[in-house]
Amino acid sequence: MSANPYLPDMATVVEVIEETPNIKSFRLVLNDEAKMQTFSFQPGQVGQLSLFGAGESTFVINSSPTRMDYLQFSVMRVGEVTTRLHQLRPGDQVGVRAPLGKAFPVEDMKGKNILFIGGGIGMAPLRTLFTYMLDKREDFKDITLLYGARTPNDLTYQAELPDWLGRDDVNTVLCIDNEYPGWEHKVGLIPNILLEMNPSPENTVAITCGPPIMIKFTLQALKKLGFEDEQIITTLEKRMKCGVGICGRCNIGTKYVCQDGPVFTYAQLKELPSEL
Amino acid sequence: MSQLEELKAAIRGHLDSLDCVIGWEEGYDPLHATPLFIHTEADLDRLNISPLAVHNLATYATGFKGTKIGIVVRGCHSRSIIELLTEKLIERDEVVLFGLCCDGVVSQRKIRAALPADPGFVEAVEIGADELEITIAGEKTTLKVQDVLADKCRICAYPDPLLADVLIGEKHAERPNDVGLACQDDFEAKSGAEKLAFWQDTMSRCIRCYACRNVCPMCVCQDYCIAGSRDPLWMSQENTPAENFMFQMIHVSHLTGRCTECGECERACPVDIPLMLLRRYMNKQVREVFGHQAGITLDKTPPLLTFQVEEARIKERDW
Amino acid sequence: MERFITQANLERLAQALAEKSSVLAPVASGGTTTFRRLRPGMQLDFSRMAVISPKDATFPRNETLLTVQRYPEESGKRLELKEHLPEGEIVVIGCRPCGARGKLIFDPVYETETIKDPYYIRRRDGATFITLACARPETTCFCHSVGSGPADETGSDILLTAVEGGFVAKAVTDKGEQLLGDSLFEDAGAKAEEAAANHAKARELMGEAHDYASAAKKLLERFDDMDFWQMQSAKCISCGACTYMCPTCYCFNITDDEAGLTSRRLRSWDNCMSHTFTLEGSGHNPRATKAHRLKNRVGHKFSYYPDLHQGHIACCGCGRCIKQCPAGVDIRQVVMAAQEHVDER
Repeated sequence: MSANPYLPDMATVVEVIEETPNIKSFRLVLNDEAKMQTFSFQPGQVGQLSLFGAGESTFVINSSPTRMDYLQFSVMRVGEVTTRLHQLRPGDQVGVRAPLGKAFPVEDMKGKNILFIGGGIGMAPLRTLFTYMLDKREDFKDITLLYGARTPNDLTYQAELPDWLGRDDVNTVLCIDNEYPGWEHKVGLIPNILLEMNPSPENTVAITCGPPIMIKFTLQALKKLGFEDEQIITTLEKRMKCGVGICGRCNIGTKYVCQDGPVFTYAQLKELPSEL
Repeated sequence: MSQLEELKAAIRGHLDSLDCVIGWEEGYDPLHATPLFIHTEADLDRLNISPLAVHNLATYATGFKGTKIGIVVRGCHSRSIIELLTEKLIERDEVVLFGLCCDGVVSQRKIRAALPADPGFVEAVEIGADELEITIAGEKTTLKVQDVLADKCRICAYPDPLLADVLIGEKHAERPNDVGLACQDDFEAKSGAEKLAFWQDTMSRCIRCYACRNVCPMCVCQDYCIAGSRDPLWMSQENTPAENFMFQMIHVSHLTGRCTECGECERACPVDIPLMLLRRYMNKQVREVFGHQAGITLDKTPPLLTFQVEEARIKERDW
Repeated sequence: MERFITQANLERLAQALAEKSSVLAPVASGGTTTFRRLRPGMQLDFSRMAVISPKDATFPRNETLLTVQRYPEESGKRLELKEHLPEGEIVVIGCRPCGARGKLIFDPVYETETIKDPYYIRRRDGATFITLACARPETTCFCHSVGSGPADETGSDILLTAVEGGFVAKAVTDKGEQLLGDSLFEDAGAKAEEAAANHAKARELMGEAHDYASAAKKLLERFDDMDFWQMQSAKCISCGACTYMCPTCYCFNITDDEAGLTSRRLRSWDNCMSHTFTLEGSGHNPRATKAHRLKNRVGHKFSYYPDLHQGHIACCGCGRCIKQCPAGVDIRQVVMAAQEHVDER
């Protein structure tokens, strides 16, 4: 990042992927070649994308630091900035302030079984870590991915799903909320499918992200399965402006989600005042 | 029995059946009152209805929808309630009105101007029948309440509540309802250039804290106000006289035919912007065009909540 | 170093400084007194504490962070991004000790080991504070309860104290010392003692300080007690008067303004009492009611900030939030209610 923490680096959109009717992924390359060469981040860190004239919003960098041809961000269209972002085409210019925030504790996960539980757009922060682990496969034991969305059309990263499903070094389970013509995978709510899968908490780390209601019941399911608070990791969303711990809106008590998070263990979350 | 005791007795009789009753009590110093939310008999002991008790408590009414509360209202405050009822923003059976026949409330600005030292240093205040005896640094100053009355009270046509379940005090003789219509003729007679210069200077003080908006009983879309909205984007967050004035234009337009001239916007402004100049001007236009005054009766629809194909006093054709 | 200056010479000094740099001083206008850019002919108003704090000097209500010029596609040019760092110096004359000290609350947030806010740092480093010691407290003053006092020099470059015929001026920093070299200043002589006596008198008038030591812990204990916060916030109308008047409130918003092919990124004061402050894109709001928001405002000042920054309370005790609140919400009472709360269960 630049010495001025508010000054974005300029980047060019190299590819736009239509993931779902309201989610697009953007692949960006920093205009400054030297900066792009030396750019480094850890899975779980976020960035602020600028659409000048509309504003800035925070998104996780969901590409993996092991694949640095581009930085990928997935954007759900909900407001002014995201609507304008959705109009971007290859060659367009955006601003990027990244990396910001804390990453997943990757070092602590080495030698462990990994259980990913993602819902909807919540798959974005998991994708970076999942891809990273695929590239460093030997560092981790069994890897399981449970990924669900409301309908098959709401599943992001469709282009990658066949690869994830086909690999024999990961166990990928997909689910949707209700029956759908042609759907060959699981049907049901994520927490229920999780209980059905009955993963062992033994030497396992669970990483979950999704809508608040899904997180709530997934946490309950994980507890039921015997996971300790320290074994559960999630990543939070808050309204952010500065992204560097100053502007004062993303705090939960003394913790600033933009700086102290967005990644937290369930044990850390329980220590915080209840203001999600 | 004094009016205060009479009011306390009336509230006491209703307290059990209400979630709370909103009145006033002495605030952070003896010269300032603050809203009081009465839940218990002990709270009731703190009730204060002196001319220092200025806040229009109707402002809180919409925040209590779905519960039943009591509100102490002066004449102008009852007009806010009537307007809220007319616009179906509150329910009649959810509010008990304790009406005060009102002899006027003070303007803190006028008190400030009349005192020899800053009222921030006030030590004691004796409230007499029509006088305030204010002690600052051991020195007493006596002010006639009449001399420091809020402007709205000087031109008040409705000192007695127009709607109340309990009425405390003696009713005033009827006053003509056009009293005060001419009160700002001097300002309105100024040239456009003079007015522009005045507003440019005055609006440079505005910090866009939105106290004027949030204290207004009729400003009910606060959380979703256009002033902070990006979509639609009407205003920049830039704090310039032009943007600040733009907000006030939006504010006053949204109050067209709804403003009851309770004066809260002007009272709440921390930098003393005379917002009533805008309100009164708009209200005068509404009276001329629609013959309407907000918050007088329950059976009239505010002019902008309805329309007629041919408005009697708007010439759309044959200019 | 202590010197003396007459009221008339102080006005002269202010006007002379205003010719060289920006001067922010309390000026009476329209029945109120606010800090304004001093222009020729304006009089200083020292009779009351300015309604708005001097925070504008180091944290203006608005500033342009950057501008962006776009070019039509056929031009082949890309976007041009321009950083807008503040330039120039500013002198604040006639702020009170609470305002000068209050701005220091920004430092550990805006300048950390890893993050340095260049806009703030430039303004801070380019600012000189000529502060006026208070002769007596207002009913809303409580600087003595937050570790300060009516003649606190912290954050000032010069401390003025009103004495017979003018002011004793004490240099607090080198910057202040240099200014006192001006020929408008005279020998202080015995007036320095008069100033010291006035300080003591003002402090005595403030009475006993309230002890906020237990506030950080007690406020956290009440975090989940929404009944408590609903009671405390009942009269709050959720406006921003308290935060915008506050010398220590440092939260801001960033928004873009666009006109044709140019746009600029604006930083402006923001207000934690507003619904939109924490409203998320999904529609979810972690601080959906005024009770939640008042809890955060008070908690931030008296609990979270002290926890993060060596126990310093993020409040300078100026009382503006109390005095200017349209509904008379008294932050002292809210904190005290938490401190004195007895669990009935």
